[in-house]
Amino acid sequence: MTTTDAASTDGESVTALEGPGAAGPEGFQLLPWMADRGIVLFTVALVLFAAVFVDGFASLANITDVFNRSAPIGIVAVGMTFVVISANYLDLSVVSQVATSAVTLLAVSNSTGSVALAMLAAFGVALVYGVVNGTAVGIFKANAVIVTLSTTFIGLGILRWASGGSIYFGPNDGPIRAFGLAKIGPFPLSMLVLILMTLLLSYVLRRTTFGFMVKAFGSNREATRLAGVNTAWIVIGAFLMSALGALIGGFVLAAFSNTAVSTNGTGYDFEALAAIVIGGTSVFGGKGSVLRTLLGVVFVSVLSNLMVLSGLGFGVQQMAIGALIVAAVSLDALARKAGAA
Amino acid sequence: MEHEQTHDGAPVIEATGIVKRFGGAVAVDGVDIACFAGEVHALVGENGAGKSTLMRILAGILTPTEGQVLVDGRPLEGGDAKASLEAGISLVHQELSLVPEMTVAENIVLGFTPTRGAGFIDRDEQRRIAQAALDEIGVRVDLDEPVARLSVALRQFVEIARAIARQPRVLILDEPTATLTPAETDYLLAMLQRLADRGMAIIYISHRLPEIFALGDRVTILRDGQLVRACAIDELTSDEMVDLMVGRELKRELETHREDVEPGPVVLCARGITAPGVDGVDLDVRAGQIVGLGGLVGAGRTELVRAIIGADVRTGGTATMTIDGETTDIRSYRQAVANGLAYVPEERRTDGLALTMSVRDNIALPNRRRLSRLSVLRRGRIREFAMELAHAVELRPPVITADVGSYSGGNQQKVVLAKWLGHEPSVIVLDEPTRGVDVGAKAEIHRLVRELAENGTAVLVVSSDLPELLELSDVIHVVRDGRIQGTLDSSEADESAVMRLAASGEAEVPA
Repeated sequence: MTTTDAASTDGESVTALEGPGAAGPEGFQLLPWMADRGIVLFTVALVLFAAVFVDGFASLANITDVFNRSAPIGIVAVGMTFVVISANYLDLSVVSQVATSAVTLLAVSNSTGSVALAMLAAFGVALVYGVVNGTAVGIFKANAVIVTLSTTFIGLGILRWASGGSIYFGPNDGPIRAFGLAKIGPFPLSMLVLILMTLLLSYVLRRTTFGFMVKAFGSNREATRLAGVNTAWIVIGAFLMSALGALIGGFVLAAFSNTAVSTNGTGYDFEALAAIVIGGTSVFGGKGSVLRTLLGVVFVSVLSNLMVLSGLGFGVQQMAIGALIVAAVSLDALARKAGAA
Repeated sequence: MEHEQTHDGAPVIEATGIVKRFGGAVAVDGVDIACFAGEVHALVGENGAGKSTLMRILAGILTPTEGQVLVDGRPLEGGDAKASLEAGISLVHQELSLVPEMTVAENIVLGFTPTRGAGFIDRDEQRRIAQAALDEIGVRVDLDEPVARLSVALRQFVEIARAIARQPRVLILDEPTATLTPAETDYLLAMLQRLADRGMAIIYISHRLPEIFALGDRVTILRDGQLVRACAIDELTSDEMVDLMVGRELKRELETHREDVEPGPVVLCARGITAPGVDGVDLDVRAGQIVGLGGLVGAGRTELVRAIIGADVRTGGTATMTIDGETTDIRSYRQAVANGLAYVPEERRTDGLALTMSVRDNIALPNRRRLSRLSVLRRGRIREFAMELAHAVELRPPVITADVGSYSGGNQQKVVLAKWLGHEPSVIVLDEPTRGVDVGAKAEIHRLVRELAENGTAVLVVSSDLPELLELSDVIHVVRDGRIQGTLDSSEADESAVMRLAASGEAEVPA
């Protein structure tokens, strides 16, 4: 409890604004608006710009390629969004989770001949990741960044030891290959998976009590605990959602290339984070959505594609994405300050 | 004995016409205070009277809205803590401000760590300064011991050594004895007397009147941010001082008590509760009864209620809730809430509300089970539910989609109440339910609390606001040092009776 005089500590709550409406129309604030709505504007502007000025962007082949490349990262990002909204920063272990999922799918299905069994095995591994990460962070209150960085190491270590670093190739006539090549009209099936995952996780976040509690926990964990919520389960649940994204992302990646290796998923931690924060989900927790992450994925993928088409190298792309993340999180922090009551 | 000599010459520190406003609330309202070399100047007043705010202004931590602080007749830049330190003003904070992981010596010189060229710490000089300061107050402690390993009392003395190490001319102490035993207190008082005899000006805040009479030369009494009396200490008796602190004319306002309600069976029952700051408390709250917990800030009331309901860890004792004849142990806070407990915490902004979420979502949070089907939120129900409760607590304006953070303190507190009203609690615990809340909202909140009791809820209220405590409670337990010092029935309670139990502690430090 505080031991200062009441009048001296509670001045701030007295100065807080009257309720909206009572205070008259609120002035337009650019920073909060940018942090909240900017991504829609930027994405539309970027796509229009690309379509008009960049040769080769608006072709069907190019757009299909953009989606094929971005689907696995997008699926990982929509899952990881739960961790970010719960104010636990991010799940770095998606790197090893994606690799493990991809390798398990091909290795187990190659050796047993059963894709279902392979998917089940990969699912089991994802469950372990979610529970271990969630337990360390949610129950032991360990720092999420350190925990997931460490579980990445543990996971990659196990994977390299078990696979011997070998590359697994799927059979050319199996269902995995068929899935990887399947199209709906002109669009690859991976794109459908991304959209379905987005819709599913968006529903979970917005409409279920679990999603509601994840947001509440991210906004104020102590108030959420004192509302009688089992907060440990909320954190474990958020990491399970991230594990689900990495699991499906790994499947899609393996099917797309029909190969799997322990280096799959390298850089997914960072690229997923880029999509999430550029989409406008707050790293302070409590604010954000799965649909925003999808927009962030589109933005980042289109931007990368533009740079490739314009002949800019990977170094430039990397630099640009890094700068964008700094800009997005700075905007988030500034908007929070400007909009603070 | 000292004030004959101290009154010659100009005061070392003098503040004139100090006003401090926090938004609309006036914390300090036109106060003058002066302290001479060699004088112990006591500053007393109820919780919230503005003592700490005034001292923080003197120490340059806060900028006064109006008025001036003079040191040796020269005005001091307001709100410049560094300038105040350099002018020789040291404040010993109410809350310990030591760095637990650092050693005693490192803490004592923190902020003016001696260096040799190139920024390297001069460890010998550091130890010398620290040892000198400790010697001056006559405390023996290992300089290399991390502060975290010291007892609370020793930390308090290290804190004082830290202030002394800067060789101040004015030493301000804010409730230094709150965590000390009677023997340690006696030692501290003797030490301060020695410092004053050597010419230091000491301003001493305490709720414990015997200390004030033992040590003080002059006293300044504040009430509601205003100066009520400044005089030599021997012009007043202890009772007169209490009356001045609480305000004679405020005493026992018009009886607004509920008609005699026959309380029902015991709903919340606590036995032998111990926890950090809580020392073996028994407590019963009956259905339809409002039990008040009075006492000074730091007496252990918040710790007590949180230990009872399981919000913090209990080190001993049991608590039960009896609802519809069925008694269950409170093993965890979550389970207590599921059984019908509601808790309005002391700090609504950090513990009570998710400020970046809407009013609607805050109200829905503890009621999510009844507002969902198969874990899917029923959004129409939620909207109706939140709207109904927003109207019940008279939230103004009742915009349930607005972020709670955009509302005033009073309205925020109404949202906290609304979310728990929706829970239809059998037991509600409220900690400082109207702190920082405007008069209108305060009346609303009081009405809601009474309504809850009339509907059979067992109510436990912690309040430092004496009129509020007297107005609401059927029974008042006064807590001091983590124990119930006395119990007053609503018919016999008045502000002076509560304050005497809370502050004077006849059995403790002899005057």
